[in-house]
Amino acid sequence: MSNEAIVAAPQARVSTGEVVKHVVLILGALVVLLPFYVMVSYSLKAPAELMQNTGGFFGSQLPFLDDRCVLLGGAEADCMVNPTVYNYTSAFREAPLLRYLLNGVIVTASIFLIQVIVALPCAYALAKLRFWGRDAVFGLVLFCLLIPVHAIALPLYIILAQLGLTNSYAALIVPWTISAFGIFLMRQFFMTVPDDLIDAARMDGMSEYSIVWNVMLPTAIPALLAFAIFSIVAHWNDYFWPRIVITGDRSLFTPPLGLREFRGDADGSNFGPMMASAVVIVTPLIVAFLLMQRRFIEGITLSGMK
Amino acid sequence: MNGGPHGPPPDIPIAGVNPRARMPVQLRPDPASTVEKDMKTTLSAMVLALAATGAYAEGHQTPVTIEFAYPYSHLFDITYESILQRFNEDHPHITVEFRATYENYEDGTNTILREAVAGELPDVTMQGLNRQAILVERGIARPLTDFIAATEDFELNGYHQAMLDLGTFNGEVHGLPFSVSLPVSYYNMETMALAGYDETNLPTTWDEVIGACEALNAAGVDNPIFWGWNITGNWFLQALMWSQNAPTMIGNDFQIDTPEGLVALDTMHSIFRGCNMQNLEWDAALQSFAAGDVGMMFWSTSAVGAVERNMGDFTLMTNEFPGITADGPMGLPAGGNSAMLVSTSEDPAELEAAWLWLTYITSGEGAADVARTTGYMPPNQAANEIILADFYEENPNKATAVRQVGLLREWQAYPGDNGLAATQVIYDYLEGIVIGDYDDMEALQQELAEEVQDLMPADG
Repeated sequence: MSNEAIVAAPQARVSTGEVVKHVVLILGALVVLLPFYVMVSYSLKAPAELMQNTGGFFGSQLPFLDDRCVLLGGAEADCMVNPTVYNYTSAFREAPLLRYLLNGVIVTASIFLIQVIVALPCAYALAKLRFWGRDAVFGLVLFCLLIPVHAIALPLYIILAQLGLTNSYAALIVPWTISAFGIFLMRQFFMTVPDDLIDAARMDGMSEYSIVWNVMLPTAIPALLAFAIFSIVAHWNDYFWPRIVITGDRSLFTPPLGLREFRGDADGSNFGPMMASAVVIVTPLIVAFLLMQRRFIEGITLSGMK
Repeated sequence: MNGGPHGPPPDIPIAGVNPRARMPVQLRPDPASTVEKDMKTTLSAMVLALAATGAYAEGHQTPVTIEFAYPYSHLFDITYESILQRFNEDHPHITVEFRATYENYEDGTNTILREAVAGELPDVTMQGLNRQAILVERGIARPLTDFIAATEDFELNGYHQAMLDLGTFNGEVHGLPFSVSLPVSYYNMETMALAGYDETNLPTTWDEVIGACEALNAAGVDNPIFWGWNITGNWFLQALMWSQNAPTMIGNDFQIDTPEGLVALDTMHSIFRGCNMQNLEWDAALQSFAAGDVGMMFWSTSAVGAVERNMGDFTLMTNEFPGITADGPMGLPAGGNSAMLVSTSEDPAELEAAWLWLTYITSGEGAADVARTTGYMPPNQAANEIILADFYEENPNKATAVRQVGLLREWQAYPGDNGLAATQVIYDYLEGIVIGDYDDMEALQQELAEEVQDLMPADG
């Protein structure tokens, strides 16, 4: 698209093509970052500033009157609060966010662990073992990838209810323990592992299970990390499923459910604490991604693209 | 019905009012008011009745636990916390467990329907007034008739007919309304002053509202009005219908194809066009009014608290909802929610505890807490007229809805399995009027009537 430009200015040190690419990427980055900007800004401002759209990014940070505190019998002078402090303390007090974060860690870690325990042997069998019906089984795995979770949510809910498992950690974890995507991803990766490695292990007398855990697993670390990101992000951020199965006990909520504590719809939502919760919820993911960024991209190019 | 599977024990004490609690009632020393005189008599009767039933209450001390769920924790957490505190003092043997809150009314209905399949229903649930019918149709909500019959002097606790009507289905009371909202007008008095309006000459009909829009436009206000057509369940369409004393649904028949339906559509069309109204989302609408950009907002009274808390430096005044004629509206749909008994328990002690909680939150101090902690009003007459008399004097913006309480009408549900789809069809057409897609209201009336009627269950 930029051939003419390059011909016109062959001596330019920065080619027009590169400039165009970067402009497009920067614009894309701005679009992606804007919601985060709003989220952080809202978590710092007072309700009146949010409603009137004043105060810039940080807000004035002047204390305001917390009328909830007044309703609960506090004196006006004691109920003046700093907006940032108010937003973040409300997030942790009214929605017990620490408890929700702990639940989130328990649930996502359990899901990922069990997914790995199931997916690795499956992927190994599909990639490296020859048995009757292997292609059909792999076809079924691909078919499972096509089923949206919303389509099977109600049957799943009823099964769990009849087993008496709703409103428990099990309800949050069990339906996700077999990941078709995980099996597919790992199978694609194992296809690239040379058969010689496995034959050598067999000649050394290793059992098939031992091969999975001691030979295949170490080679698959980058792919596993990529899968970890997919799995953990999906289940950490999931709003839909926890909402379906957790109807009784608030103390089983996962972090995203904490956001709803501040919704008021037509009567005015409390956006400050809501966005403060959102900041607290996404920060661990962003930190984890930044730390593992290189591994993550390696994993995708190693497995998914081949 | 007595002795049937839903029959309550015969000795249910009067609920909602506690024999040992002091009566926290403040009467203004104005003997001229007949209402207050009546209420004084009522109160003495209540006290007597309480003294008589107190003995029963003392007898039942076996610990009972009931489960309870409600929507919108941001709005109602504080209300139930403060009610629960009182309730625990009055009935120490009953533990009320709060379940995870519903995100909104639709979520509340979905959750209950799901829990009914799974056999995990709570004992008491709070449901949107226009979402009660489906729980009655499916036999999930239990009728309260027998409980009411077994409660002495039930109506003396402030449960008047218009209030009970909101929760009555098939001739039996199934829900006790807890927090009620009505459409009201919000005015930014500084902006209104630019066009020569003050508290004496605010518009009382939609024609006058359009006139005010033109005057505000002439005075340099670009965005004079927001009219809450987009409030859930086509609440404002029903408001224009009830304004003419016409229901929006009769049985399974959608009533938009009546002369009143046409008047409703024409009124909307002339408001949107005459005022050049922008199409705003809920949050954006509340935001622009709070920021002082909009002069008049027609919205639910339940947002008064949020607006007062967050608005800029101007004078807010609420006033009666305008009417189609100078006589004002003949009726208005009640928004809000209602307490329903969905317990699957057959244990009399548990049902009695659930009934106590139901009535505790809908009468007396419990009901008064609704007005104190939210923008809603309790529909309970006794709570409004006696306990809250001073409160409304100090909070005149919240009193507007109370002045309109005689206009309370049902917020109608669209029946059948396609109820939510019908709501969406109407929403899309109304949005079409707002953004100027439709100008021929008679053609629109025909189209809308046919499309919605197709979604309704066939008669017979």
